Amino acid sequence: MRGFGRSCRGHGQVFVKLVRQTEQQLLALGEPIPTFGLQAQERLAHTIPLSDAQHQRLSLALTTAMSNHEHIRKQSQRLTSGKKLSHFKVVNAYDPTIAPIVKGKSNCPAQFGRKPGIVSDPASGFLFANLVPQGNPSDPSYVLPLIDKVQSAIERVHTGPKRRIHSVAGELGINDPTLRQALHERGILTVGIPKTIAPIEVHPSAQDILDILNEAGLNRIRTPYQVHLACASGYSRPVVESHIASLLSRGAGQGRYKGLEGAVVQQGMTVMAHNGAVLVRIHHKQLSKRAQKFRRLLGLRSPKVNEINHQRN
Amino acid sequence: MRFVRYLQHWLSGTGARLQVTDFVPVMHPIRQWADTFPWAALVRALEQSFDTRFPTQSPRGRRPVPIRVLLALELLKHELGGSDEEICQRLRTDFAVMYACGLREYQVNPAQAHFVLPETLCEFRRRIDEALMDELIAIQAATAMEEGLVSPAHLVIDTFPSEQGSQRVTDATTLYKAQKKR
Repeated sequence: MRGFGRSCRGHGQVFVKLVRQTEQQLLALGEPIPTFGLQAQERLAHTIPLSDAQHQRLSLALTTAMSNHEHIRKQSQRLTSGKKLSHFKVVNAYDPTIAPIVKGKSNCPAQFGRKPGIVSDPASGFLFANLVPQGNPSDPSYVLPLIDKVQSAIERVHTGPKRRIHSVAGELGINDPTLRQALHERGILTVGIPKTIAPIEVHPSAQDILDILNEAGLNRIRTPYQVHLACASGYSRPVVESHIASLLSRGAGQGRYKGLEGAVVQQGMTVMAHNGAVLVRIHHKQLSKRAQKFRRLLGLRSPKVNEINHQRN
Repeated sequence: MRFVRYLQHWLSGTGARLQVTDFVPVMHPIRQWADTFPWAALVRALEQSFDTRFPTQSPRGRRPVPIRVLLALELLKHELGGSDEEICQRLRTDFAVMYACGLREYQVNPAQAHFVLPETLCEFRRRIDEALMDELIAIQAATAMEEGLVSPAHLVIDTFPSEQGSQRVTDATTLYKAQKKR
């Protein structure tokens, strides 16, 4: 028997005998499903009033349902006999891309769904990119695809100075030596990714800065000033929770559209709507004092309020 | 019949054109929010993608609802937290929503751009894929960077859980679906 989530979700008491008996009954009940599926496919092929597109859609849905049924049957037999699964676990018969979310809420049953990743500006909360992967991959696997997306957005900027990513901050979960190495090779500081649970130093000494630059191999690429800002950004990392809260308030916490494609559209539209609200706040200078200071240090200009309704479009 | 009933509001003559901007104050939250988007670039990206992936088969049929309207409705849906039906209804009565959708004049006429069925919004969503969605976000981010409002120099990365919502089947929804199929 395999449990989900943290130990605080309960004692995990499972009535093994009852589950095994019920499973036997359900498997016996579902025995003729493959036969029914084949019959349904045959009848579908001979149904004339349906158009080609409808035929294709229905037959695809039927094939997916049949393959999922087979997978669920196998995983049920393995799990009830105490064996581990060789591959992923299907938790929803209609959508195999859904997975149990290990980092979900505590004190509640394990949530099933997806785990979108975001990359944001700590000063204002503007989201540069998001990622909705299939299943529940590890946190470090989000970083490089997200950085690539930000890079593609930077390449679209044609005016002003060349923008570069100086540093990345994140939680302890993305602390991975391979990832750090990959980021250093791209000229990105990783001082904002903690190695221990201890908070990051906000004002590092000159020696600390030198050590950070030497460790990353970015001595002539990044300046001490940029390391200072990277440390401040890493220290302010928990501010990302407020960006997530803003997304959740716009309905990002619950997938309402069907499948992975639907989740991508929903999360993407939510991110764009959130960004619109962030830009309004920047225009009105409704930012925290820390954010205002951070923007000043980054050399970002404050827009004139009267210019907000210019006819750009 | 349902379609005609939906539109009968618009089929009874025409009147003077009203300027939508006259009814939406400059400081209206939806107006301010809508003015932050680079609509022209976003619509161009959508049109290019749709033209490549879904070429028009025939020049016949009704004129399509402008992409600008559909995109704005989809974004507003997430900003205001409504359903497809609610946001489509608001498009017919709320001047701020009309402004966000790029409709600058209002007239009692059967122009296609002024009304959208929830099903149309659903079809529009279905045409958006991951690459296109990433492109739209990148366009928005690039515009904000060009204007000097945000900087990608220091970034924070995190993940959050998004539970899959279940559609509860009730007698009312089953009846609705049955009536629609009939």
